[in-house]
Amino acid sequence: MNRRFEQALNCEPPDRIPFVPAIYEHKAWFVGETPSKVCRDSKLFTAALLAEYERVQPDALTVGIDVYNVEPEAIGCKVIYYEGKDTSVPAIAPESVVFQGSEEVASLKMPDPHKDGRMPLNLEVAGNITKLLGKEVPIRGALSGPFSLAAHLTGLENLFKLMFIQPDLVRELLGFACEVIRQYGQAFIELGCGVVIFDSQASSDLISPLLYREFVLPRTRALIEHFQKLGLKDVPLIIGGNTTKMLDEYLETGANNLLCDVKADSQEFLQKCSPARRAFRRNMDSTDFLTISSEDVHRRTVKCLEESNGYPGFILGTVILPYGTPLAPLGAIRSAIQEYKRS
Amino acid sequence: MKELQDLARFLEQGESQKVLALTQQLVDSGVPPQTILNDGLIAGMAVVGEKMRNGEMYLPEVLQSAGAMKASLRILQPLLAREGAQSRGKILIGTVKGDMHDIGKNLVGIMLQGAGFEIVDIGLNVEPQKFVAAIAEHTPAIVGLSAMLTTTMLNMKTTIDAVAAAGLRSNVKILIGGAPASQKFADEIGADGYSRDAVLAVDKVKQLLGHTS
Repeated sequence: MNRRFEQALNCEPPDRIPFVPAIYEHKAWFVGETPSKVCRDSKLFTAALLAEYERVQPDALTVGIDVYNVEPEAIGCKVIYYEGKDTSVPAIAPESVVFQGSEEVASLKMPDPHKDGRMPLNLEVAGNITKLLGKEVPIRGALSGPFSLAAHLTGLENLFKLMFIQPDLVRELLGFACEVIRQYGQAFIELGCGVVIFDSQASSDLISPLLYREFVLPRTRALIEHFQKLGLKDVPLIIGGNTTKMLDEYLETGANNLLCDVKADSQEFLQKCSPARRAFRRNMDSTDFLTISSEDVHRRTVKCLEESNGYPGFILGTVILPYGTPLAPLGAIRSAIQEYKRS
Repeated sequence: MKELQDLARFLEQGESQKVLALTQQLVDSGVPPQTILNDGLIAGMAVVGEKMRNGEMYLPEVLQSAGAMKASLRILQPLLAREGAQSRGKILIGTVKGDMHDIGKNLVGIMLQGAGFEIVDIGLNVEPQKFVAAIAEHTPAIVGLSAMLTTTMLNMKTTIDAVAAAGLRSNVKILIGGAPASQKFADEIGADGYSRDAVLAVDKVKQLLGHTS
């Protein structure tokens, strides 16, 4: 792990604020191919990550292009891939849910991370990148969070419904999801890399903190604890949207590294993360990076950095960068970070 | 009327069976369907919308209420049609290309249907050209574009551009919605309006069409 990132995670002042932009489908752009093609080709995927590291110089790398799809696909959901030059992000076909609610959870297929779907491909890429860059930069394998995985297996609307009419079944489904994630995560860890858990379907933009506490928190806490016991110092839990309302629950998951998305209240995060010594990644709005000037990006970055108020556990990020985002705005962010360090 | 207040309360609580039973009871006792719709269902959903905006209700609870409303509408709509209630306008809705999320869009559809609008739902992951073709075919007054992701929301602009390129932009008003959207984004991409939730979408549609109530 690089020193700067490690210091931020330990809430010790790093030489400058780490920068971890959200680059997933955009990785494919670095090798001039579509996300659908790169996510199914380990050589292209590896090359895309190397290019991302070389051209963006992030302080952490994530092995994931269409995060959220890999586990459901390995269990049996169908992923829509786009052909030709279509750069849309592959997605789970909504009609391909594998769990309606009337069957036994035990009937669901437990995937083998080394055999099923694209899990082996992602592991191969993670292994490649860890060998090449693992000493310079943290490499994290992307994992679905339990609620998001359950939502893909049964459909989000159905999951919401089941929480009211069959709560025990939902708990069982979340337990299954956790076991899938645990095994897949363990396979990444065995390769010498870390993991990052994505669970944005569990955001308080969608479900109440009460439902999160009742259904999701116990499972997530156990999962994170498991990875920590395996020796991971950093287990980021990424929940997008405005999570200010669920910040207490978010902290109770035990994740050492949280996401403070664009619409979340960074000052509230500072107040609560500081005494708990948790790092958090503050996302800056990058949805208009295709159209605004580098000067505007610079100004926006400075404004965002000022929100850190000197907190050493502050990491700067972006919302998911669309495919084709040019390098100039990312350069503007990096230079703003460098200048901020000096001032 | 107490029963209409009860109907609104049951709806707010997402009690589908009670909403259905009470709707039928009110119809049987001769209460005009329009009154049941306005003073029961729409009144109930207005409270739901307010509670959602205040953070007192979340999507799973709102969907329970919307499901109850949908069930009740199945009783009321044939009666409203028989009474000659006219559609307040045709609304075309869809989730833009690359996006597989449809909960928000579906909620908007139910709310608008409840408010007397005719809904043409063209589904999710909709190509810009499919929007164009649907506008030409159905001649809606308003088109509602939905997106849940920061990346797919950019396809709202692509869709609006395609509608303009087809020479249809002046024929329709375009309203956008979805978690990452905002009024600022609506302005930037040339949409006519933005709504942050399904209940407010009804008001926004009425406003765009110049309806007073």
